Amino acid sequence: MMGYFTINTVSEIICLLVAIFCLFRDKNAYWRSFVVYMFLVCLTELGGLYLHKHNITNAIIYTGFLIIECSMVSSFFYYLFYKYHPKSKWIYIWLLIFIIAYITELANIPFNYFPNHTTTFMSVVFVIASLYYYLLITRDETFRNLGSYPQFWIVNGILFFYFGSTACNVFFEYLLQEIVTSMSMSIRYITFNILNILLYGCWSYAFICRYRQRNSFTS
Amino acid sequence: MQISSKELIYLIGLITFIFLLAPLFLIIYISLYNKKKARHAEEKEALKKTFEMELLKSQIEVQENILQDISSNLHDNIGQLLSLTSITLSSIKADSINQEKIRNASELTLRTIQELRQLSRRMNGQELIKKKLGHAIGYELDWLQKGTEYEINFQDNTADQIWENAGKELVMFRLFQEILSNIIRHAQATSINIILNQESGIQTLTVRDNGKGFLVEDKLKTSDGMGLSNLTKRAAMMNGTLIINSIPGSGTEISVSIPYI
Repeated sequence: MMGYFTINTVSEIICLLVAIFCLFRDKNAYWRSFVVYMFLVCLTELGGLYLHKHNITNAIIYTGFLIIECSMVSSFFYYLFYKYHPKSKWIYIWLLIFIIAYITELANIPFNYFPNHTTTFMSVVFVIASLYYYLLITRDETFRNLGSYPQFWIVNGILFFYFGSTACNVFFEYLLQEIVTSMSMSIRYITFNILNILLYGCWSYAFICRYRQRNSFTS
Repeated sequence: MQISSKELIYLIGLITFIFLLAPLFLIIYISLYNKKKARHAEEKEALKKTFEMELLKSQIEVQENILQDISSNLHDNIGQLLSLTSITLSSIKADSINQEKIRNASELTLRTIQELRQLSRRMNGQELIKKKLGHAIGYELDWLQKGTEYEINFQDNTADQIWENAGKELVMFRLFQEILSNIIRHAQATSINIILNQESGIQTLTVRDNGKGFLVEDKLKTSDGMGLSNLTKRAAMMNGTLIINSIPGSGTEISVSIPYI
């Protein structure tokens, strides 16, 4: 049982608990959906660990989860950009491109392989979206205290995670064959531990900021 | 030259480290830029306020000069002409029927001269507050009581005037005139209470009426509230405060506090 408590799962479970506490009663559906998303993240991670412990390839779980991940992050960006560009066609175009890339890659790789190129492509798009968001808030005349602005911290987490994972994504196939010698864990595993801590740390903080913001508005 | 697998792993680790540092610096830069933006917005707001205050000050100065000019003209020109008319009328010798009419005309002229002088004094605020603010307010209330049936109570708890504050007292007197004018026009009151206090470096003027009252927040949102908003701005111009308390059906209390030198 203790084997299921890794750095990744612990950081994800903490983030889920924070999300439940802070966002469960949030009136905004985009924010509230983080609770469901974090629950699915934890479920996927624990399922992946279970299969790994039973020497079964777990790529299929992460491959399936990729669609949920892309939908969640994309819809949140849609929510962020809607204030500046109130058009919805770009999100449909992006999701269509993603699905085409995803299906094409799955059709060209063996069963139980992870669609790495689609993941890399998705990461690049999310990094560009994060940078564009920064551009929008610097151009925006409205002043916001960014230190406690939840949207800003959600994007910070996304940028850390997807930009930081670029090197691992590019060398994905090489790292799969990496022979662990002196190190007890692979470089990919260490990197994703750090990235997960950064992502879910930023998100947990964003959820707390959102909770405080919501309460200060209503009081 | 071939790169060994160990070196490649170190390279990937290094790239990842750099790729993590880049967002960190970007976030720091955005935060610093945002702080700069906040400072800029604050400075802009302060400049806007200063400009508004200067504009208001100029408006008051211009208004005061115009009133003084009209007051001088009323007193010196029209007053003199009426005096001459009065002298001329009194010098006319006529039969008993016409003499009565001339006497009436002369009395009316004298009353007009008196009214004109009082009006001229009311307009010339600088002249009025030469004695002290309480005296100017008393003079204004005397004028009001002549033509109306208000029950007026005035308590002046101030000491002698401090000359350095003459400018402030003049603005306060004009505020009082406007408050009074608002009561006459809108309040439908029967009683007005005025208290002038001076304690611990602050002069406070409180005007209370028993009129119909209003909802302050609602009033400030409408164009009718412009007058109230101007009163507040003028009080702020002297680093003072203006507090409006009003209950519909019960009356209104306006309190102006201005710090003294």
